[in-house]
Amino acid sequence: MTSSAVNGKTLPTLHLLNKPPSHPRFRDCLGAVANEDSLLLMESAVIALADATLALPANTRALRHDCLARGLDEDTQEDVELIDIRGMVELTDRFPRVVSW
Amino acid sequence: MSDATTKTLLIVIDSPPYGDWRGREALDMAFSLAAFDQPVALLFRGEGVNWLRPGQDGASINQKTVSRNLGAARMFGVSELFADTASLARFGVERPQPEVEPVVADAAFYTRFQEVIQP
Amino acid sequence: MPIPERNNEGFLEDAWQWNEAIASKIASESNIDLDEKHWEIIWLLRDFYKEHEISPPSNRLFVKAVREILGEEKGNSIYLMQLFPGTPAKTACRIAGLPRPTNCL
Repeated sequence: MTSSAVNGKTLPTLHLLNKPPSHPRFRDCLGAVANEDSLLLMESAVIALADATLALPANTRALRHDCLARGLDEDTQEDVELIDIRGMVELTDRFPRVVSW
Repeated sequence: MSDATTKTLLIVIDSPPYGDWRGREALDMAFSLAAFDQPVALLFRGEGVNWLRPGQDGASINQKTVSRNLGAARMFGVSELFADTASLARFGVERPQPEVEPVVADAAFYTRFQEVIQP
Repeated sequence: MPIPERNNEGFLEDAWQWNEAIASKIASESNIDLDEKHWEIIWLLRDFYKEHEISPPSNRLFVKAVREILGEEKGNSIYLMQLFPGTPAKTACRIAGLPRPTNCL
């Protein structure tokens, strides 16, 4: 799955990822995130914030309640913004295209 | 070398907490064996070390906090809790909670146990 | 005083809605008059739940937990059966306002 093209231009895409790093789709997802895209980590995917072996894309966010459940917070990775459900809704509104992995 | 293995059953938890029921079921299995005084130990490795991260708050996703559930393991008779050092380092779990014995979970480690289950 | 919401087996839906008066009322349904021996076990279970967020999953593990904390004299099934007739873990957890032990029939 890659960014879709409309009239030769790619649509900025929001990628929703809920699989842990060990899941094959986790890697597939990271490979599909283009420069103008954003990545939102949720459920088991949020442990990626603590995974020293990973380099996450620049526009990565994570769902706060899933982080708090797992003992992760803003200090785990300073350049990743934690958002709540309202933030997630706003984010999905901003992107013309959403892919759930 | 067979005299080096113990009768202890080793249950390996390598899946992250909260996402699915795999680790939960492994823990229930350990508790059930301990209830019948069967020697049983737990090893956390890979993404499973996230069970041990301090400061968890399962209530934020309407679940019980797994590290607290796990804290009852020794009282129930689970003889040992182990965690793989490389996995702890990979996920930045510096002070595991509850306390565990850090080990290098290589082939030599597994041969210490007569039976190993990886649910 | 009304008893908070309970499931079909008489266990409180929310362990934090519990107090001593509720315990006495639930106990009276099983014709148990709570004395200090009961309360010792009830508060042990309350502390256990606060720390571990689970009930002891089975009767054996309930007995083990009591033995670990209070010693052999009280951590045996005869003592606990006398205090909490039936399946002691179930009876005691019900009175202590805890969830039903998962592995008790």
